[in-house]
Amino acid sequence: MSSQPTGGSRVSLKDVKKAFGSNVVLQGIDLEIPAGQFVSIVGKSGCGKSTLLRLMIGLDSVTSGALDAPALKEQAARIVFQEPRLLPWASVKDNVAVGLGEGQSGQAADKQAAEILEEVGLKGREGLWPSQLSGGMRQRVALARALVSQPTLLALDEPLGALDALTRIDMQALLEGVWQDLGFTALMVTHDVGEAVALGDRVILIDHGQVVLDLPVDLPRPRKRGTPEFAALEGQILDKLFGDDPRAREAH
Amino acid sequence: MAATASEGPFSRALPWLVPLALIILWQVSSSLGWLPPNILPAPTAVLEAAWTKLQDGSLIDNLGVSFARAMSGLIIGGAIGFSLGLLNGLSKTGEMLLDPTLQMIRNIPHLALIPLVIIWFGIGESARLFLVALGVFFPIYLNTLHGVRNVDPQLIEMGRIYGMNNRTLFLKVILPGALPSIFVGLRFALGVMWLTLIVAETIAANSGIGHMAMAAREFMQTDIVVLSIVIYAILGKLADSATRALERKFLAWNPAYAKV
Repeated sequence: MSSQPTGGSRVSLKDVKKAFGSNVVLQGIDLEIPAGQFVSIVGKSGCGKSTLLRLMIGLDSVTSGALDAPALKEQAARIVFQEPRLLPWASVKDNVAVGLGEGQSGQAADKQAAEILEEVGLKGREGLWPSQLSGGMRQRVALARALVSQPTLLALDEPLGALDALTRIDMQALLEGVWQDLGFTALMVTHDVGEAVALGDRVILIDHGQVVLDLPVDLPRPRKRGTPEFAALEGQILDKLFGDDPRAREAH
Repeated sequence: MAATASEGPFSRALPWLVPLALIILWQVSSSLGWLPPNILPAPTAVLEAAWTKLQDGSLIDNLGVSFARAMSGLIIGGAIGFSLGLLNGLSKTGEMLLDPTLQMIRNIPHLALIPLVIIWFGIGESARLFLVALGVFFPIYLNTLHGVRNVDPQLIEMGRIYGMNNRTLFLKVILPGALPSIFVGLRFALGVMWLTLIVAETIAANSGIGHMAMAAREFMQTDIVVLSIVIYAILGKLADSATRALERKFLAWNPAYAKV
């Protein structure tokens, strides 16, 4: 592999509350996330899962409680959004270089960009414009941009939500491979329970601003969907999400 | 097979067919005497006039004068419009202070100011420069403002998250994002520029293509009048092609501007 492992960093939250004005979005959040863990965060729309993610990588501040994440002090936290948010007027390589920050250019930067592009499977596409790439490839560039500065904490906010089903499966494998190679701590918000189980060491279910389920996923990787163990875990999460309403489960 | 057809010599000749046919029709009509020369001279007569004017040097002189006027006006008006567009696009205070006034002035046709401009500046060079600058100011101002205002806020948030300072954010995100709109403004401005110059040179000037046409009118030299009109057409087309070339260079990332 072209890129060296960077390692992960821990995140801990103690009795964290987040409110926007009088609107309490999250409360009583206690979480210990060890370095290098892959955490999937699921929940219904508006449950507060994206807010939790933004708190953990410092895009929002907590209203009360304690958040401790060494990656934030070291500026080693990065985020990938659902939309790739690439600069359309910059080449793939220049987009990745944005991730290196101010004043980083020259041969060392080029080398870093080339290495990370190889890691995400985009070797040889350095000079293309984003408009010349498919949706999945654009998201790979966004991933490379987030990873080029060797973060120890990576937040993924529904990173595959805008992709078609086949590209998603492809990208899930890529994401897992990159995470295994580099070893960063991954926090992924998703609305796809299957994806959460396939990738997470642990699945956290948020409902009405609270953690209602914290489920370890102890299956060997790469995981096969459709095995009884996989289905049992999925079922457990869906039960908690929808209670005993069979129609809602069916719809999901 | 449509792709191969669009690259063939036939399709490259296609845009020239209609103008060519019109010129031939015009020449034939003149030669057969259907078109009297004091109404419209034959194309060959216009070419002859061009040759004469080229040889005595007056064509190049007048062309140079007109071109210099157009460019100075464009640079002055364009620079002011661009700067104010950036200022008001980036600063809420600037916009609140200046934009309502500018929007009010915009609704006055700038050529309506000609009597006032002649009183202020006389019929000298500054009057024409003022009119051209005023004319190109608004398209550039409005489109720069629009471009800056419409840069994707998600990209700006991305830039901030990746630690870009204001300068880098402006150079790497806001300016390139506003560029397509600024080019639209430039092309509008070029149209206004030639129009204003023609009017200004026709009304009051002692040099330039417009003056050449008006002087020829006094002696019923229709060939030189038509020559002046043709020159304006060529200048306008050249300005447009130059802008297109700039667009292809600077907006190559945008599929809408990529070379077809």
